[in-house]
Amino acid sequence: MSMGIDDIWIFACACLVAIPCTILGCFLVLRNMSMIGDAIGHAVLPGIFCAYYFYHSKATFPVLIGASLSGLAATFLIQWIHKKVKLQSDASIGISYTLFFAIGVILVSAFGAQADIDQDCILHGEIAQIPLDTLSLNDGFSLGPRQFWMLLGNTLLVVAFCLLGYRALWSTSFDEHFIKSIGIGVLFWQFSLMGMVSLTSVVSFESVGAILVIVFLVGPASTAYLIAKQLNKMIWWSILFAIHACFWGYLAAILFDGSIAGSIATTMGIQFFVVFFFLKWAQNSSNKSLDLQDYE
Amino acid sequence: MIENVKDPSLEAHNLTVFYQKRPAIWNLDFTLPKGKIIGIMGPNGSGKSTLLKSIMGILKPNDGWVKVFQRKIDDVRFKVSYVPQRQSIDWDFPTNVFEVAKMGRISSKGLFKRFTKTDLEIVKESLHRVNMYDMRNRQISELSGGQQQRTFLARALSQEADLFIMDEPFAGVDAASEKAIIGLLNELKSKGKTLLVVHHDLHSAKNYFDWLVLLNTRLVGSGPLEKLYTDELLSETYGGTLTSLSKIATKIEKQGLPIRHK
Repeated sequence: MSMGIDDIWIFACACLVAIPCTILGCFLVLRNMSMIGDAIGHAVLPGIFCAYYFYHSKATFPVLIGASLSGLAATFLIQWIHKKVKLQSDASIGISYTLFFAIGVILVSAFGAQADIDQDCILHGEIAQIPLDTLSLNDGFSLGPRQFWMLLGNTLLVVAFCLLGYRALWSTSFDEHFIKSIGIGVLFWQFSLMGMVSLTSVVSFESVGAILVIVFLVGPASTAYLIAKQLNKMIWWSILFAIHACFWGYLAAILFDGSIAGSIATTMGIQFFVVFFFLKWAQNSSNKSLDLQDYE
Repeated sequence: MIENVKDPSLEAHNLTVFYQKRPAIWNLDFTLPKGKIIGIMGPNGSGKSTLLKSIMGILKPNDGWVKVFQRKIDDVRFKVSYVPQRQSIDWDFPTNVFEVAKMGRISSKGLFKRFTKTDLEIVKESLHRVNMYDMRNRQISELSGGQQQRTFLARALSQEADLFIMDEPFAGVDAASEKAIIGLLNELKSKGKTLLVVHHDLHSAKNYFDWLVLLNTRLVGSGPLEKLYTDELLSETYGGTLTSLSKIATKIEKQGLPIRHK
């Protein structure tokens, strides 16, 4: 086992996926919308196909645009079904993304021969390959992996959005009726939150693959939900849990020479149960000490 | 028995809301006085919450209109405070009593302006008035039903409104909280505020309210308590006529309703 500069780039990129996903994930978990990452992962297929089909290339930019648009369209459909048709949010997610995915499958099977694609191209980005694709200046000075800069840009965007919209995001997640009653539109915030999730997912899918994105959207927020009593603390805790899992997961992957994404995802799952059982244990032992005091 | 008032706090005309094809409220015409505690009463599913939501513009009426202080609701929202049903939100949400009460200040501060010292003073004062200040740092999941309701009331108070619209504030609260809430309502009334309260317990109603609105999809009556609190009207609201009313609802569902227009 040896650690090099590449490992630092990979770890940095994992963190830059983790941070925006985690922050957005906190709001999604509180809105019962956490499976939206999975939905977007499938709903991007028609968009990717169209980008390939019309540009005849696997250039990143058109594909990103296509995927984002198609992810956004799916989130809009989910919101619309949830609000207007008044279906539960999980059912709205299910019906929307399967529709998008199915359209994608039909397009690929009908015209895919020319385009030479399958969804693996984007859904299963491989985090270990990040250092292979670098940016460099004209004189050859290397700026590091291209993905790193893209992820950094996205992270800054998401952090700025959440800081600026914090009051709006938490108050509409908590009590939408009240916010409506004082005359503030909630749709704008719902859609811009979903837009952020869609963009972040697509950018991250390409770098680290779908599993890790879903893990970061749901895992840290759920773990932090167990212990935090305030939303702002929940966000801080979840970022901490996310980076913590990245660190140990990545270390384990190097040690056992295994899949990085799989290893980080597993660590996140284990971390959730460790925190859960620790809390239970702490609660029980504090109850016991109370009992003892009663007897004394 | 529908009594109208001059210079009303609230006026509804021909107000009709459908869910799918079934009317939730149908053709409501009434005016309500200022500076009174007004009870909106009716059995389950009689459209009480629907009425409140359409007053607040959360639901769009299929026909008719509501005016608050003789203006459209959007022009006077800053004067109106809405207290939703306690069960309408997730009480496991990670936040505390003070933060919830502070939400009331969003109505004058909007989503971006910083809260000032004055804002925080108002929130503090509101918490004192509902006797929740000592619990301001409690996580809301640790509150009893009555404490949850008082937290909601503190939020409403910190809006500094003139009209309070409350959905079932007495549902599932303990005796102490009930007393605190009714004390608060009377205090607000003495300051000239108008309180519109959805309620379903007939027994306590006659001690709480000055004015009643009896509702069962259509309006059964609206007027001073003494005139409305009669066996005949109450049983028309709650009892015997229920079956024929639901027949009407079913019939309308089948045939469609020729709605009168403004």
